[in-house]
Amino acid sequence: MASPPCAFSPRGRRLFAACGPDGRLRVWDAAGSRLQHEYVPSAHLSAACTCLAWAPAEGRQIPSKDGPQRKKRKSEVGEVEKQLDILAIGTAVGSILLYSTVKGELQSKLDGGHDSRVNCVRWHQDNCCLYSCSEDKHIVEWNTQTCKVKCKWKGDNSSVTCLCISPDGKMLLSAGRTIKLWDLETKEVYRHFTGHATSVSSLMFTTVKPMNESIPFDGITGLYFLSGAIHDRLLSVWQIRSDRKEKNAVMSFAVTDEPIFVDLTVSEVKEEPVKLAVVCRDGQLHLFEHILNGYCKKPLTSNCTIQIATPGNDGDSTPKPVPILAAAFCTDKQSLLLVYGNTSQPVIEKVSLNTSEPHICLVRDIQKVLSLKTDAALTKVKTPVVNSDTKVLVPGIPGHSTAVKTPASGKEKKKNKRKPGETEESIEERLGALDIDVSKVKTPGGLPQTDSLAVLLVQGLESNDAEILNKVLNTRKENIVKNTVARMPIYAVIPLLHELTKRLQGNPYSASLMVRWLKSVFTLHASYLSTLPDLIPQLGMLYQLMESRVKTLQKLSRLHGRLFILASQVAASEAVQDVPEVNQTAKLVYEDESSEEEGSDDEMIADKDSDENWDEDEEKEEQSDEQDMTVEKEINGDSDLEPENESEEE
Amino acid sequence: MVSARGLRVVRCGGGALSGARAVFSADSKYLLCASGDFVKVYSVTTEETLRLMGGHADLVTGIQLNPHNHMQLYSSSLDGSIKLWDFMDGIPIKTFTVGCKLLALYTLASAEDSVFVVIPKKGERDTFQLVSVKLTKGAGQDLEAKELLVVLDGVGASAKQIAFGREGEYVASVKEVNLQVYFFKRKLLNRFSLRAVKTKGGDNQFSCVACHPTEDCIATGHADGKIRLWRNFHHKKEYTYSALHWHHDIVMDLAFSMEGTRLLSGGVESVLVQWHNESSCQKDFLPRLGSPIEYISMSSDGALCCTLHADNRITIINSNLRFSRSIQGLIKSRDVKTGLVVDPRTKALVMNGEPGHLQFYCLQSDQQLFSLDIVQRQYIHEAGLKQSDLVKVAFSAQGTWLATVEEREEVTDPELELKLWFYEEETQSFKLNTRINTPHDNHITDMCFRDMGELEDDSLILVTTGRDCVFKVWVMVEDTDPEAQQSVSWSCDFVGSYHNYQATNCCFSEDGSLLAVSFEETVTVWDSVTWDLKCTFCHPPGNIRNICFGRLTCSKYLIGATDYGFLCCWNLLTCALEWSAHLNIVVLQPDPLSEHIAAVSWLSKESSLFVFKPNEPRPIYIQRNLCKEKILLAAFVPRDEPETTGSEKYLWLRRSQLFFLTDTQELMTLSTKPLEERLTPSSKQLAVEESLPVTPFSLLLGKHRRQQSQEDTDLGKLVVHNKHEQASPAVKELLHTPAHVLPSASFLCPIFINSLLISKENKSTEEVVDEVEMESEKTEDDSDEERDVTEMEQEDTSHMELLGEMTCKLSKSQEKELRKIRKMDYSWISAF
Repeated sequence: MASPPCAFSPRGRRLFAACGPDGRLRVWDAAGSRLQHEYVPSAHLSAACTCLAWAPAEGRQIPSKDGPQRKKRKSEVGEVEKQLDILAIGTAVGSILLYSTVKGELQSKLDGGHDSRVNCVRWHQDNCCLYSCSEDKHIVEWNTQTCKVKCKWKGDNSSVTCLCISPDGKMLLSAGRTIKLWDLETKEVYRHFTGHATSVSSLMFTTVKPMNESIPFDGITGLYFLSGAIHDRLLSVWQIRSDRKEKNAVMSFAVTDEPIFVDLTVSEVKEEPVKLAVVCRDGQLHLFEHILNGYCKKPLTSNCTIQIATPGNDGDSTPKPVPILAAAFCTDKQSLLLVYGNTSQPVIEKVSLNTSEPHICLVRDIQKVLSLKTDAALTKVKTPVVNSDTKVLVPGIPGHSTAVKTPASGKEKKKNKRKPGETEESIEERLGALDIDVSKVKTPGGLPQTDSLAVLLVQGLESNDAEILNKVLNTRKENIVKNTVARMPIYAVIPLLHELTKRLQGNPYSASLMVRWLKSVFTLHASYLSTLPDLIPQLGMLYQLMESRVKTLQKLSRLHGRLFILASQVAASEAVQDVPEVNQTAKLVYEDESSEEEGSDDEMIADKDSDENWDEDEEKEEQSDEQDMTVEKEINGDSDLEPENESEEE
Repeated sequence: MVSARGLRVVRCGGGALSGARAVFSADSKYLLCASGDFVKVYSVTTEETLRLMGGHADLVTGIQLNPHNHMQLYSSSLDGSIKLWDFMDGIPIKTFTVGCKLLALYTLASAEDSVFVVIPKKGERDTFQLVSVKLTKGAGQDLEAKELLVVLDGVGASAKQIAFGREGEYVASVKEVNLQVYFFKRKLLNRFSLRAVKTKGGDNQFSCVACHPTEDCIATGHADGKIRLWRNFHHKKEYTYSALHWHHDIVMDLAFSMEGTRLLSGGVESVLVQWHNESSCQKDFLPRLGSPIEYISMSSDGALCCTLHADNRITIINSNLRFSRSIQGLIKSRDVKTGLVVDPRTKALVMNGEPGHLQFYCLQSDQQLFSLDIVQRQYIHEAGLKQSDLVKVAFSAQGTWLATVEEREEVTDPELELKLWFYEEETQSFKLNTRINTPHDNHITDMCFRDMGELEDDSLILVTTGRDCVFKVWVMVEDTDPEAQQSVSWSCDFVGSYHNYQATNCCFSEDGSLLAVSFEETVTVWDSVTWDLKCTFCHPPGNIRNICFGRLTCSKYLIGATDYGFLCCWNLLTCALEWSAHLNIVVLQPDPLSEHIAAVSWLSKESSLFVFKPNEPRPIYIQRNLCKEKILLAAFVPRDEPETTGSEKYLWLRRSQLFFLTDTQELMTLSTKPLEERLTPSSKQLAVEESLPVTPFSLLLGKHRRQQSQEDTDLGKLVVHNKHEQASPAVKELLHTPAHVLPSASFLCPIFINSLLISKENKSTEEVVDEVEMESEKTEDDSDEERDVTEMEQEDTSHMELLGEMTCKLSKSQEKELRKIRKMDYSWISAF
């Protein structure tokens, strides 16, 4: 089973055409990997598509007429690199279809050349000729303007499988049992090459100029070309020489499986290496970079191998390989367009070349890519992924903003508040240093007292035990809090503050408890805190936190006020429901009238009157609405005062 | 040869598509629409541009097919000319110069050689009249058309406000609250007016009008969302109308289907409504069309309709209201706040698209790649509602990170959100990494990534400047939290300020070691490692408008432009002003691939371009009078392959291309190629003859079709109605009978073959025979059916019998009686 034929549009590589096994021709937009359109040949079931070829690109421009009165700089259309849109499709029954991708319809059908499967079609670069070869051993030259056979000759003793036109357009390579080079003018064999044991699937010229500049160039001598065949893991490179003796391959490239798609960058300068991308049947892509220069006995291995696999991270699924279907070099020769996935819905991606690594495995979640693509039919809108594991920074959370520093105090530039491990260590050191004090402070309070939790708190802070800390810090009694803070050893103040800061970031309810603690810490230990040299970094976060919380207070109180008004209004409207009922009765009256008048349809004036009534009624409604609105506004106006009262209460 | 010509300003991105109603070609294969100064021909099946017809010097305001030849097209423009095109080949056939602004164009099949246009009335402002223009049949290409005949006075300026009625018998025009109907034959003008509603700025006003194609009926759309259907308007008094109401806001356009059974309407809700049989209860909707509908047009065969949207998009819709295709141009948002940014990954130009979206516009293929929904909130079309929109966008050097700032304008303080997106290769899409609420307390003025080229990832730094007088430095940090699923996230590293001035611009030097932040009048330079203030520059009068660092060999220079018209270049090594120039610079744009900097100045209604290297005060290239419009933004886009221009003068355009956006949302670029080179003549195109082998079916039908279409064109009709009088009755029978009632193919075959044969004898009799045969066949069918029916009946009766048995169960008393009867001796009967 041969791989489905596919081809990139020349030059810009903007489109990718592929023929599925169901006989449908699909054209994909390479940039967005979007299905451009689909064409089903009328005989797609009986005459399956066997080969594809895009017509050579020419800067097709629709000439805009220069009007005599038009200014030159006004209104010119930007240059659009448009390909010529014709796609030649060879079929299994011997006909060739010319399909226009711009119009989306069949342009013409070339019939009468072949009576068997068309194996390859090739466009001539310059004139509008098309060459095709077939199972019926013949090569046909078509004139596409008249859609007639220009010339037909026997190409081989067996079926001719592949064609390639030389860069200067005067010679034609054909591959049957052997590879032959034909002179297109005389239709005579110019050279023979041994070829492959199996039928050749690809033929390509790799150079446009001979490497040896000393000999005058006749357009063909000295050029290299590449051939690949089915069931053959070697791609051979041949050189066209002036002497007719040499018929064997100059060198060969080894790949892991039979090549199904080959693309290369033609080297124009001697020093420039030929870049070759070979997609194999096993779904791998091999990249070669080689300067063609004479013989090489050993088959060359690839510089880089690219594979694609699914991530396989959900559940127990193992990564599965995703086959690469085709690859093509972009115009800058630095990046590669990869086509992978399913033939009926491939993904086209641009990958920049990095041949430093010998093996690259790209991980692609093909399911997600496809699901993203299918729903963007109408407006091309893509929705980026937003999931729950996004980090959210709101004012007050560490990392949202650092303390505002004046440029003068810019010396302490690295704050390690993002690394709590370090701060912890420093506290431990500090605790170790102040170990003597602990005993000092503990001993004076020899008698057990129930109105303070200082010992427990210190223990909790030292051991960082959440349970103890919860017990202590969740006390509501003002007295206990005060006493605890007062009796707390001085070295525990900073750890306590850190703990409080951490808890303040949590839910607002616990924060309200923590505020009491903070308040008493600051009232009782302000003098100690002011002596600390590194106070700003130590308490910077707490400061920010408070700052941001205070900032939102105004907004919150405003919101509170508004909600309060709304709620009270709802309550008020529930209480006073008589007014709208009056309106409803009025409506009923109107309906009675109108129904009467509609009965006498032909009376224009009455009709008009009814219309007027309508409008007036609307007006009434609107007026009443407006009245409501004004009432609301008035209340809103009052609201400016109320929230302040609220906040004061708070 | 190149240097002889200057650089030419070339428009790209296409014009506004919504200049006029689009027109389908007669076979519904192509869609013609006005696009700026051009007329574009699109293929309906592939969305591709087939032809681009240019020649008008100003906006194209109307396009209509030539009713007498459906391969020709009339177009009118504000430049005062009407052109006749052969749109299949893109050739202008004739140009008729009228001499005044043409605002709308209408054609009529009944009007022999004249078209109707709307022109402004001479001497009066804002009054327009509908005139008929006689198109003289001259020999030349350029003709004068001065024979104007006023049809209606005081019409609206928009093309939607006039419609021609059934077979061109009358014309209806609406303006404000008045409807005028003019009958051509009777030369009668009827005026109807609605009562203007006083409360809310004329809700009752007409917005558009459409006429029923076969009946005397006019549909009008109103500003309050109502559609009124007027009938009986021949009489001044006894007219009637009925109202259809679904739209909540202004009805933007109306269109009748070809038979008149369906009416399509659209408005700002971006919902297409289809009304059946002019009743308000039967309606279908096609919602979620993306943006407000500006125009609706129907194809002549009724199979397709298309809507033109406010976001420069054409949507092609099937007759069963299924979305079929869409053609998207460059979305022209009202205000491009994000600036022109180049996505390093796709090389696409990125800017504001629809509200809350980022559009990625591919410049090579001149089409939109996709648009990215950043805000991800439902957009509600309502006036006065404040929506979140994107204000700043920045890409990291490799395109792996995208930072966006969205803003919702509030009365007190703006609602800001900074989002950092990571491009996930696996899924090939951006993924939200960090969301920062209120990154600044006031508007964000600028944002940039530190461009470190290869060394990306861990050294990536983002700087935002805000009007809250600070700039913030955001860095990537490893997440220590084990619960967090992401390995990295962003957090603030440094907040800098300078004398409480508002921060306006920021820019990193090429190697990333220095950060320049401008604070009103002063430029401050900071060390990006220690965040120390290194030095300050200022050029006293005027605030700093733009700053940028020089590149490559000029990396020691810092360029700044001020409000008071100075372009300054400071040397960072000597901390001194190197040179300054007196220019009112609006845009300052460095080329990322070379040391060149492009500056666009704006002086008294013309923009000029200056390209310079910072190390020499003399500009390399000057183009005065670049364009008439004010240029707001510019961007250098790297070319795929370096352009090979011989001229030294344009070396700065070799590796990247300069694009700029004017205040009319027109995207322009500079081209070095002369006109001839850029436009390959059509003769060079590979011409492929259209030669399709005819299928038997088309052979069969083609003849009749051709005949018919000829007749249709003779009649001046484009509608292809099914009239098969001439067709062979057998074929007709075959094609018109539903498949499920046809007899077997083997039976039909001889009849069919016979019908194709050329009879030697009298043809008609044979046909009659055929028909008879067909009929007999039919009757046979019928009888078959009947037989079936009788069988069914028999079955039924048997069922009935069974049922009878079942039901005839006797009650016990009856049984006893029966037994009694059995026991009774009947022998006495025999005695008789």
